[in-house]
Amino acid sequence: MSHTLDRLAFFTRKTQLFSDGHGVLTNDDRSWEEAYRNRWRHDKIVRSTHGVNCTGSCSWKIYVKGGIVTWETQQTDYPRTRPELPNHEPRGCARGASYSWYLYSANRVKYPLIRSRLVRQWRKARATLSPVAAWASIQNDPAKRDDYVAMRGSGGFIRATWDEVTEIIAAANAYTIKTWGPDRIFGFSPIPAMSMVSYAAGARYLQLIGGVCGSFYDWYCDLPPASPQTWGEQTDVAESADWFNSSFLILWGSNVPQTRTPDAHFYTEARYRGAKSVVICPDYSEASKFSDLWLAVKQGTDAALGMAFGHVILKEFHVDRQVPYFRDYLRKYSDLPMLVRLVPQDGAYVPERLLRAAEFDKALGETNNPDWKTVAIDEKTGKVVVPNGSIGFRWGEDGKWNLEEKSGRGRDTVLRLGLKGAHDEIAAVRFPYFGGAATNGFAVTDHPEVLVRNVPVKRMKLPEGEVLVACVYDLFLANYGVDQGFGGDHMPASYDEVEPYSPAWAEAITTVPKDQIIAVARGFAGNAEKTNGKSMVIIGAAMNHWFHMDMNYRAAINMLVMCGCVGQSGGGWSHYVGQEKLRPQTGWAPLAFATDWIRPPRQQNSTSFFYAHSDQWRYETVEMSEILSPTAPEGVWDGAMIDFNAKAERLGWLPSAPALRTNPLEVVKAADAAGVDARDYTLQQLKSGDLKLSCMDPDDPANWPRNMFIWRSNLLGSSGKGHEYFLKHLLGAQNGVQGKDLGETGGQKPKEVAWRDEAPEGKLDLLVTLDFRMSTTAVYSDIVLPTATWYEKNDLNTSDMHPFIHPLGAAVDPAWESKSDWEIFKAIAKTFSAVAPEVLGVERDVVLTPIQHDSAAELAQPFDVRDWSKGECEAVPGKTMPQITIVERDYPNTYKRFTALGPLLSKAGNGGKGLNWKTDHEVDLLRALNGEVLDEGQTLGMPRIDTDIDACETILMLAPETNGEVAVRAWGALEKQTGREHVHLASPKEDEKIRFRDLVAQPRKIISSPTWSGIESEHVCYTAGYTNVHELIPWRTLTGRQQLYQDHLWMRAFGEALCVYRPPIDLKTTHVRCHKPNGQTEIVLNFITPHQKWGIHSTYSDNLMMLTLNRGGPVVWLSETDAARAGIVDNDWIEVFNVNGALTARAVVSQRIREGTTFMYHAQEKIVNTPGSQITGKRGGIHNSVTRTVLKPTHMIGGYAQLAYGFNYYGTVGSNRDEFVVVRKMTKVDWLEETLNVKDFAQ
Amino acid sequence: MALTYRALALLLTYPSADLKTLGRDAMAAIREEGLLPGTIERSLNRLVDHLMASDLYDLQEAYVQLFDRTRSLSLNLYEHVHGESRDRGPAMVALLELYRGKGLELSANELPDYLPVFLEFLSTLPDAEASSLLGEAAHVLEAMSERLKKRDSRYRSVFAALACLAGDAADQEALAALLQEPDIDPDDLEALDKIWEETVVTFGPEETGCPKADAMLRTMNAEPMAPRRAPAAGGLSL
Repeated sequence: MSHTLDRLAFFTRKTQLFSDGHGVLTNDDRSWEEAYRNRWRHDKIVRSTHGVNCTGSCSWKIYVKGGIVTWETQQTDYPRTRPELPNHEPRGCARGASYSWYLYSANRVKYPLIRSRLVRQWRKARATLSPVAAWASIQNDPAKRDDYVAMRGSGGFIRATWDEVTEIIAAANAYTIKTWGPDRIFGFSPIPAMSMVSYAAGARYLQLIGGVCGSFYDWYCDLPPASPQTWGEQTDVAESADWFNSSFLILWGSNVPQTRTPDAHFYTEARYRGAKSVVICPDYSEASKFSDLWLAVKQGTDAALGMAFGHVILKEFHVDRQVPYFRDYLRKYSDLPMLVRLVPQDGAYVPERLLRAAEFDKALGETNNPDWKTVAIDEKTGKVVVPNGSIGFRWGEDGKWNLEEKSGRGRDTVLRLGLKGAHDEIAAVRFPYFGGAATNGFAVTDHPEVLVRNVPVKRMKLPEGEVLVACVYDLFLANYGVDQGFGGDHMPASYDEVEPYSPAWAEAITTVPKDQIIAVARGFAGNAEKTNGKSMVIIGAAMNHWFHMDMNYRAAINMLVMCGCVGQSGGGWSHYVGQEKLRPQTGWAPLAFATDWIRPPRQQNSTSFFYAHSDQWRYETVEMSEILSPTAPEGVWDGAMIDFNAKAERLGWLPSAPALRTNPLEVVKAADAAGVDARDYTLQQLKSGDLKLSCMDPDDPANWPRNMFIWRSNLLGSSGKGHEYFLKHLLGAQNGVQGKDLGETGGQKPKEVAWRDEAPEGKLDLLVTLDFRMSTTAVYSDIVLPTATWYEKNDLNTSDMHPFIHPLGAAVDPAWESKSDWEIFKAIAKTFSAVAPEVLGVERDVVLTPIQHDSAAELAQPFDVRDWSKGECEAVPGKTMPQITIVERDYPNTYKRFTALGPLLSKAGNGGKGLNWKTDHEVDLLRALNGEVLDEGQTLGMPRIDTDIDACETILMLAPETNGEVAVRAWGALEKQTGREHVHLASPKEDEKIRFRDLVAQPRKIISSPTWSGIESEHVCYTAGYTNVHELIPWRTLTGRQQLYQDHLWMRAFGEALCVYRPPIDLKTTHVRCHKPNGQTEIVLNFITPHQKWGIHSTYSDNLMMLTLNRGGPVVWLSETDAARAGIVDNDWIEVFNVNGALTARAVVSQRIREGTTFMYHAQEKIVNTPGSQITGKRGGIHNSVTRTVLKPTHMIGGYAQLAYGFNYYGTVGSNRDEFVVVRKMTKVDWLEETLNVKDFAQ
Repeated sequence: MALTYRALALLLTYPSADLKTLGRDAMAAIREEGLLPGTIERSLNRLVDHLMASDLYDLQEAYVQLFDRTRSLSLNLYEHVHGESRDRGPAMVALLELYRGKGLELSANELPDYLPVFLEFLSTLPDAEASSLLGEAAHVLEAMSERLKKRDSRYRSVFAALACLAGDAADQEALAALLQEPDIDPDDLEALDKIWEETVVTFGPEETGCPKADAMLRTMNAEPMAPRRAPAAGGLSL
């Protein structure tokens, strides 16, 4: 009812006044206020957060009334910070605030869905056959298999019951294990930090049955390999609050206000506090508005800019004038004092590997791992010393793995920085220069490909003879073109000379004026000098997504190390790309990878996996000669990218999935039959060549992945670089691949990896996706399982941006038929246990694992690279080849094991990052907390992990970050290695145990743990490298110090021993220009895929509210000049294509964009608003339709200290910004009806 | 209390093997009660015949495509009334309370605004009350009927029957408004694009100005309108 008539229009009632007329008593109708009261009337408010891939970890209040979520608002109770530091609150953003839309939206997946053609066959077969036999009958009949495989992506779903779909999945898994081997079952799920239990659910199931978990951080190209290279650490960064402590901030290729919205306020506050701000990005981004100075760098040339910054800093702060703090820092915390061997090449010398103690007479007294101890010269005595802390001290002895200024013999020592003044002679050293040649319009300078520069050296008499030795410091300066008075080719005499790497040179490459370069370098270093290192670089995806990302990153890292910033509050690097920080990692890992039952787990680097199994290698356009260094040591450096990857797999550097051509269960059986130990048998068979590695022939049907689970991810809609190749080869679906493979083009085929003329299409037997929305991936799946949203499950969430741990809370039960990921995989495990006995019992399995970082095995291959398969060395598992382990899998007990905490934690302890501690006490506590298993069987009496809350408690109890007692024990374990006292960092919190319900009450700050390099304290913000600098804990690298010189053979061969500028590579994909003309001008642009404003991190890009704020469908940004050139105006439909595929989108023409580039925001959905492409005749693709994965050999290195494999730690990465595309206006917008009418198709 | 509602609810549920037998029963009940005119009864009969005669998988695929994946044909009534607005949650709560007020607890895994749920609820009410409540949704039902007609779907007959049972004729203004809403076939992408196409922004008042601002100004200047329908206590609030 309208209340208009309740009020008097012409009269005012006489009213009673009170409080001296300040108050008025009226009788007006106030029932309209009920609307507001009702709005705030709820049954309960539940705490949760949003976990697409958001680092916000913002706290939200979810309002529930009558069992229905009515809306959400920001919670504002994050614990307050200390005085003088702004609080973390308020947080939240518009994307998160629009999330509840998904719960009841028409986009929601409400029931288990299955491809009707598959279920039709299944039911028919199942009517007479047992489950595994039924699945086998479909797989063994090519016509039956093709019938549903070919329909992927073309609609045709029907609903099914949970019982039925879990049975199909279980049968498919059991069949695959029996027929092909357990490692043909692959699972992909990213970013466990977002919802740890959901991730763990699928991973635990996969590991129990012997399946493979794929990595995400490297595949997403969010892993900066420069971090493991330099620090032996996957990634560790400052929390956002630490920006406030900085007084000079460089924002480099990172768009903080857009992609880190809830934390951006710290940047603003730092500016109010007086911090200087420089923003480096090619476009006029949101972040540019933060800057005092915006450097509009030419995209892809950031390393050139960084080299020039470094040039100025080295010249002015290290050579012309020496800043004591900087020199001291370099001496103690970098590898610059270490000695390097020089070897002759072309009439001069090239730097070789770091000199080791083992090369000296009697190994300089070192008996333990002298191959792995680097050496330097003591400043006072001038003698060679073996300083503490190198990786040789980490394993096999106690107490000397630290950064104290001492030698291995316990003497105090001050390391000499540079040989100038102590040198025997001057040597001409060859440095590679790559800036003389570039493609696609990137600028070049007129310089030779090798620059010979003079370096002071010493001659040393070693048992092998006389060796010429240089100091990293001198090589480093010479490489930067900073002259110490020794001269050399193209040494810039002033900043104005266009010689590598002067500011004028950088201006020629990057277009940034040299005066600005000089000013920024001086400002950055000058601030660090005054503040002891409070200069910071916030670095983002725009830097990391290039093929030569390591050069971009190392150029920035070098600056920070030169100025003593890493490890200092308010200083250092802050790489916010992706979300790597699973704070309670060591508590979570046993749950996720089932290491409480079986060790080791099967983990695979996804980039190499997808490169091989979506057959992108068949289309490789980059040859080794294009990326090899002109200074590469002699050796065989040809072959294809996949040959290099296969070699890395053979040598135990990278993992392989599947590993063996033969089913590993059958290998053990054959060994048993032969009466030989299974491990010995495997080794012998590999050596003899009777047992073949899968990596040598990825297209052999025996080596295909067969079943795939995707959960918490939109692999095909978002992260699948080479989308069209996925569709064609892995899925066998309709696709838009434009190019021809090497067989058709006559290109150079692999030398060692087998080539099959016929490329397989549709390798997967079954693709299962768990999602709550009908994403692009779901559309291509065979089975879609409806999962719970973030308001319907209990889970944990942590971020790198703040030090708290936050829950996801089940505000309501999962809507419709959906279930939480935990319950779904539990159900699959249960059905699997019932179905498996048809073909599987207790089986033994051969697991091949690469040589692991942070284990004693990382000291594997100290000098040369030798291939056992070619007889160059002995085949020794875990040393020259992958480790071989025989494990037992009890298939009928999979469910029992899934739901109980297994015995290995009590027996073998727990740990992480090279530390191990006992944890039987925590297992006992969990038994008391979660209750014990009461059912008869092998798990009787073990701690229960039945519900998602049980799983959360397991993580919280086992992790040092959430259990003070464990933290103290973990620090104690580290003390043994370093010989220093660290327990004080956790002892005040020894009694603290964070439980799930504590988090529900209020998010909690974690406890300092040796898993991480920063500390949680009331005095400093969390920052990376803090404990290295302040507790003298070595970095986990070869030298134990920040490793700026990369001495591995492959690093030297590919020109990245020292940081240099390398122009973007040529992927040769735009020759399709003008092949299928439509009368419009076709222009070539660099294809950039940044994160967007309307659907990233906390929600997806099919959210209607976000679509409304943007343009409602795929858009591509163009500069005004490029648009004019191609006759495109704003909002035109345009086509973007190259040899990989095509996509269609609307043009946004903007002054913001730099000429020569085009932006397409990451992860715009194919399911939303995409017309057909005139090029392919198919519906336009997604941003990854025009990309293809290209590997880099330096990312394959393993068995070598910090360059040893770790899951999500090191490995090939999926870079995609070197890609160029053809852009043209579309003349006809054709909306293809893509869903095939099932009946038409059947006829 | 009319079983016709329950029968129509049944016809709108996901086609199952049971439907093959139940469809006939539903039709029989409808015929017996005779609440619907002959033409509608005949068209319902054609739907039932279709459901009986077709391949179950084809029916299920079609159903998923129509009602699960097509937003404008969602069987959740509030999708059409509140869409993604925040009023949707409270509206569902009010509807649940209405059910509870009549002693009915929603036990299925469906939201309270799922049309078959609502119809089953109506089947427990006296005819006049049921018809009046259904009348509140008349414009939604008629809009869906129109959309199904466009698709040549036999399911249209159920909506025609519901329009007939509704106590009120659909509010023409509300219906027109609903029909103006985009009807997104998940595969009809051209239509989808049109909805999201941006209007060209020009600055300034009147004709050259932003049309949205003009419309906004008009609403702000207009007399406050009385709600279209006074919400009955515990009503549908449609």
